[in-house]
Amino acid sequence: MTNYVMEAKNVYKTYCVKGEEKQDIKIVEAVKDVSLQIRKGDIKLIFGPSGSGKSTFLRCMAMLDIPDKGEIYLGDQCLTKPGVDLNKARARIGFVFQHIYLFRHLTALGNVELALRQVLRLPKEEARRRALDALAEVKVTECVSKYPSQMSGGQAQRVGIARALARNPDIILLDEPTSALDPELTGEVIDTLRDLAKEGTTMLIVSHEMPFAKEVAEEMIFYDEGRIIEIGPPSLFFNAPNTDRAKQFMTRIINKTTR
Amino acid sequence: MSFIIENAPLIFQGLSLTIEITLFGVFLGLVLGTILAIGDIYGGKVVKGAIAVYVEFFRGSPLFVQLFIAVYTIPAILHVQIDHLSLAFLLFGLNSAGYQKGYVKGAMQTVLDDQMAAGLSVGMSKVQTLRHVILPQAYRIVIPSWTNEFCSLTKSTSILAYIGFIDLTGAGNSIIRETYNVLPVWVVIGAIYLIWITAFAKLADIIYEKKKIPGVEFMMQ
Repeated sequence: MTNYVMEAKNVYKTYCVKGEEKQDIKIVEAVKDVSLQIRKGDIKLIFGPSGSGKSTFLRCMAMLDIPDKGEIYLGDQCLTKPGVDLNKARARIGFVFQHIYLFRHLTALGNVELALRQVLRLPKEEARRRALDALAEVKVTECVSKYPSQMSGGQAQRVGIARALARNPDIILLDEPTSALDPELTGEVIDTLRDLAKEGTTMLIVSHEMPFAKEVAEEMIFYDEGRIIEIGPPSLFFNAPNTDRAKQFMTRIINKTTR
Repeated sequence: MSFIIENAPLIFQGLSLTIEITLFGVFLGLVLGTILAIGDIYGGKVVKGAIAVYVEFFRGSPLFVQLFIAVYTIPAILHVQIDHLSLAFLLFGLNSAGYQKGYVKGAMQTVLDDQMAAGLSVGMSKVQTLRHVILPQAYRIVIPSWTNEFCSLTKSTSILAYIGFIDLTGAGNSIIRETYNVLPVWVVIGAIYLIWITAFAKLADIIYEKKKIPGVEFMMQ
């Protein structure tokens, strides 16, 4: 019995990007030998330059991208073995997308209800009640019967979080949940995440919200060029990171946010 | 204009056949077209190749040629007795599927990337996501192309005359053979087509507007 909620062991993932011309195909090594363990109640935050492969790594954790090599564990279950029911596994993992990705043809309630009905097979009444609870938890009760296009970005992303939460997943993976939002809307999403943190929700977050990271993260992970460069508590990164690359990146990002 | 009243039963019979075979064809075409679209998106090389051949055959050859092939070969190959009209109904569906595959596939592709990831992320299977997320959105997008398909199919039913069945055009032909009233008959028959197609297209428009997802304008090229 492992005491990790999730674990990545020596994960590799490369993908191809087609350029303008047909013949220039760029191979991106987004994840190179990355290992990470997450315990129950952990809040870990991955940060690093854009294009470094953070999102790909997170998608590998959720098996939305299948790793080329290495293993992903959800509790005791190895998800990278052939023959694993990935749908069942994904039902235990919440995922929040950078670009939100709500189901466009469904209301907020419909978005949260769908998996409760189709995946957990809950009866109609119970699914509705649990969906409403989840929407109340992220404070978007005013949007219950609104469609995604009728919500603000902040509201939509909170509905996205409710959709991920409603199944009571073992862990929630969040891929830059605030970076596609207008600056004045990031606050409400951060507040929601802060509430989740207080309740002890296990979370792995890709984010550059540094004040938030300082406040809630137990561990920060500096990720660059497909690898984990440095790992440690927020105090390490805010005071004196060990690696030059992390140092440079922190200087840049802190200057940007305080300006 | 007395020919209208005298031949009202014939005209009505022709119109019903036109309507029946068109509605059946468009509906069967949508079902088969959806299956072909999914096969074309997720299938391997062989499946994709077979679908391409299917589509090119039905799009590339005249419908009446397809009708003769169906009538003379299918019963012989399958060793079953199928009446010609049933074969014609089936053919309209198979033919329409060749066109509708493209419409459905195009519509699916406008929503597939992000919505499939979202569906999988909540624990649904690919099939569940197709059924509850992708297709409900794709069908809304496809309604206008579907209306066009309906209009063009309605006017193709006259080929039923080749196998001895009378649709709306066929009714016109037989009235002319009796009355020699060429222009007035075609004006009346034409008007009936126009009214029926316009009414149906208007209905499709209303459904399209009603089913439109608030605030979302899908762009189909």
